[in-house]
Amino acid sequence: MEPKNSFDFDGSCVNADIVEVLNVKGEKMKKVKQILSLALMGVLAFGASAYAEDSIRIVSWGGAYQKGQSIGIFQPAAKAMGITVKEDTYGGISDVKLMVKSGGDKFDMFSSGAGSCASGGAEGILEKLDYSIIDVSNHIPGTWSDYCAGADIFSVVAAWNTDTYGDNGPRSWADFYDVEKFPGTRAMRSKVDAQLETALLADGVPMSEVYNILSTEEGMDRALDKIRSIKDHIAVWWTSGAMHAQLMKDGEVDMTTGWNGRFDVAKRDGAKVAYDYKTGIMDWEGYGIPKGAKNKDLGMKYIAEMMKPEYMAEFVKHITYGPTNTKAYEGGLISDALARSLPSHPDNAKHQLLLSQDWYAKYRTIAAEKYTEMMTE
Amino acid sequence: MATVGAHLNEEALKRLDRQERFNLFGLTLPYLGLVSILIIIPIGWLFYMSFIGRDGTLSFENYTRMLDSKAYIRIFITTFKISFLTTLICALIGYPLTYFMSQLPKKWAGICMIGVLIPFWTSLLVRTYAWLVLLQKKGLLNNLLLDFQIIAEPIKFVHNTSGTLIGMAHIMLPFLILPLYANMRSIDKDCVRAAASLGATPSRAFWTVFFPLSIPGLLAGLLIVFVLCLGFYVTPAVLGGGRVIMAAMKISSNIELYFSWGAASALGVVLLVVTMAILFIASRLVSIDQISTRG
Amino acid sequence: MNSSSLNISIKDVTKTYGNFYALKNIDLEVTSGEFLTLLGPSGSGKTTLLMVLAGFTSPDYGSVKFGEEEVVLKPPHLRDIGMVFQNYALFPHMNVKQNVGYPQKLRGVNKIDMKKTVDEALATVKLDGLGHRGVSELSGGQRQRVALARAIVFKPKILLMDEPLSALDKKLREEMQIELRHLHDSLNMTTVYVTHDQKEALTMSDRIAVINDGSLMQLGRPNEIYNNPNNAFIADFIGESSLISVSVTNKKAYLGTSEILLNHSAQKDGKYLLVVRPEKLFLAKKTEKNTNLFTGVVTESIFQGESQLLVLKLEEEVYGNQSLQMRIANGFDLKGKIPIVGDELTIGLRKLDSFIVE
Repeated sequence: MEPKNSFDFDGSCVNADIVEVLNVKGEKMKKVKQILSLALMGVLAFGASAYAEDSIRIVSWGGAYQKGQSIGIFQPAAKAMGITVKEDTYGGISDVKLMVKSGGDKFDMFSSGAGSCASGGAEGILEKLDYSIIDVSNHIPGTWSDYCAGADIFSVVAAWNTDTYGDNGPRSWADFYDVEKFPGTRAMRSKVDAQLETALLADGVPMSEVYNILSTEEGMDRALDKIRSIKDHIAVWWTSGAMHAQLMKDGEVDMTTGWNGRFDVAKRDGAKVAYDYKTGIMDWEGYGIPKGAKNKDLGMKYIAEMMKPEYMAEFVKHITYGPTNTKAYEGGLISDALARSLPSHPDNAKHQLLLSQDWYAKYRTIAAEKYTEMMTE
Repeated sequence: MATVGAHLNEEALKRLDRQERFNLFGLTLPYLGLVSILIIIPIGWLFYMSFIGRDGTLSFENYTRMLDSKAYIRIFITTFKISFLTTLICALIGYPLTYFMSQLPKKWAGICMIGVLIPFWTSLLVRTYAWLVLLQKKGLLNNLLLDFQIIAEPIKFVHNTSGTLIGMAHIMLPFLILPLYANMRSIDKDCVRAAASLGATPSRAFWTVFFPLSIPGLLAGLLIVFVLCLGFYVTPAVLGGGRVIMAAMKISSNIELYFSWGAASALGVVLLVVTMAILFIASRLVSIDQISTRG
Repeated sequence: MNSSSLNISIKDVTKTYGNFYALKNIDLEVTSGEFLTLLGPSGSGKTTLLMVLAGFTSPDYGSVKFGEEEVVLKPPHLRDIGMVFQNYALFPHMNVKQNVGYPQKLRGVNKIDMKKTVDEALATVKLDGLGHRGVSELSGGQRQRVALARAIVFKPKILLMDEPLSALDKKLREEMQIELRHLHDSLNMTTVYVTHDQKEALTMSDRIAVINDGSLMQLGRPNEIYNNPNNAFIADFIGESSLISVSVTNKKAYLGTSEILLNHSAQKDGKYLLVVRPEKLFLAKKTEKNTNLFTGVVTESIFQGESQLLVLKLEEEVYGNQSLQMRIANGFDLKGKIPIVGDELTIGLRKLDSFIVE
């Protein structure tokens, strides 16, 4: 709304100036003046609508993540298209629901985890993405869906404090759950996402079996019981990436689950933190469009632009979340050293479990309720 | 002479009186409307939404869910426990502080009051994070205690119940102090003097005269603090470290989890009903009209 | 010494607030069983003195003795005095009985004695049967009685009262003045009573201590204070008076050119004020003996019920520019003829009633 308003304001100023000039010319110009004013108004109205179409409003998670997105992707992509982009932060898919259900108009698109997008899509609050416009032919399979065009791949890892454990931190989930070998305080997420998996992996369940087992009630309880067994050592249940990064920076806990990119940024800022991709659980993040978004069509084109490898390559320089577009790895866009540090690099990806969106679509609510129950015990 | 059955101007004066009352009603009408729009309708809507299931039809699923998982009852117990303890801490700190302020000359009391109110001007989030910085494992307080070798291991002040209580009590304290201060200032100083002249030691005079007279202000403060605590979100989320889950936090996460207002509304309804019940019982235990005549 | 009362001896009591003297070297003896009134305008220090007696204000220095005992260092609750406050200071959260029983409860009086003494005290102040009333249900006069009952229930030897009647309306106040006095006579406790109402002081007191600017101006029986005020302030403050400038030369006083006969002649020459009480002036014949005679013209004549108030402008050539107030009782004095504005009158002031102050 803001740019449109300011344009209207400018317009009326221009209008007033011209009217003034016309007045000087005298009464007989009255008719001409009226015609001119009308014409001017028409031009202004056209200009305003054109302007609105040329601007897009996107929301994301703030912090180091959005900073990387903004510098690497949002702004350069908008510049290339000759449009402006207005950024803001939001609180997650429930904000999208709130906006759509209340008929609000705050943003045209959002950055979101694949799982949240999928559930939003199932709720009917998102626009279906048009893959005839968005080119995903070079993307890693499974990193796009009807409602979410994947842009980066991140990993949930076990990070440890190098002051406490040096180089010999928990390099497997078994280590993370072993409070005798690795005494110290832990943190886990206050939401269930990518947490139950860690318990089963710690129990030695092969990756391919994890979601099969979690799909049974016993399997889910087995994972929860495993977390229960170390609950006394879990000092904090984190609620955001910023929080778990801060926990490590401040040395508040000795190890935590969390997103690899946040730890790399924290490390760059001097935090004593390390992690091993052998504990990684891969998931991806992308862009979605709320149902009835004002600039839906422009949004589609904007997403298509943002999918280009050069933006993704620039993004990873700021935060180590791997590109979904495989072209980004080609032509030296990303240095070899940086590429090797990304979750989606083949050397890293091979150790990792890929988070199952299907499982979450089916079991999220029940798992979340049980997880909360476990937390409140 | 006046006509039969009427005195001079009787009818006209009565009409004037009626007119005045009507005008008064007319003046209050917009506010009555506003109150019903801002309070009654939303609460009614909340109740209605709580009976809407995920598929959009009338259902009790939002309530049965609360019985299925023990988490909900635990969250309510935590909510009331934290609110009660915060209120208690506020009373224990706030009462002596307010008493002290009420005994100061007005000028000094005013300066103290500014001290009490300054935190109001800072955002709740900032104050909450400030506590985190002070109290965390490598925070200011722990470092200080370690430096002076008062403790050998850092004390866990935050990411637990105690941290939540510290933060909440700090934020809630002014809400107790303000009504209590107004009440204490209105207590006739001569009443306490009278007690002393009649032979009461200072502590006896306090407990038999001043304290009973300050109860209305204290209760008002306690009530405000308790009720406000029930809806706390940010402070327990930040300082509780996930170990303190209060109703408001669950309401928020349920919206995300179920994508329906019903799942969250039902929690709100239960919170509202339980709160009303507690206040009702409390009002039975402490007779309201007794409070009001105490002035 | 009477066993139910104690004398109070105040010596050199001084209290300052910064540079302001609230009390300046006060010496005052209150004899046992006496009803003494501290009288003064507001801000004179009379209440401060009472608060020093009660123990709520500490003097800068000085001594206060109850009987033989120095109490100036004693906290209020150990002084064992009854006190009645200006605004009653009843405990609003207690009913009448609880209020009156409060000091007895503090003294650990047993239930039977408690009931007996409380009932007695309530009977003394004529509130029998109102024990279960709440304080808020009482009228102003009743509250005052409760406060009084509470202050006397434990039979203190000293009773202090801080303008206890000021909140009551005139009629009730005048009734209570007499009642309080009777009560004092029957209980016989030493009573120190503070008021700014000179008429109240004259009505009730054995002796009056007039206080102004923190100093004791005059101490004496009501008629002494009224008839022989020892300075202009008291003459003006107590009762009505016209203060007329006179000069004294060779022990003779002159008003203008006319000599004034005085009850007590002044020792020193100089300027003085002649205190003329309006009610002491009378319509006189020119031949009256031992009487100062004035002639003047009536400028105001006001009917005030019990009396007629006249304002006379004295003959200017003789007395200079002077006016006098005069009161003629509504009765035989007037004999049906009321002086009206413009009348020329001759009025007399007996030598006996003529006194001057500095």
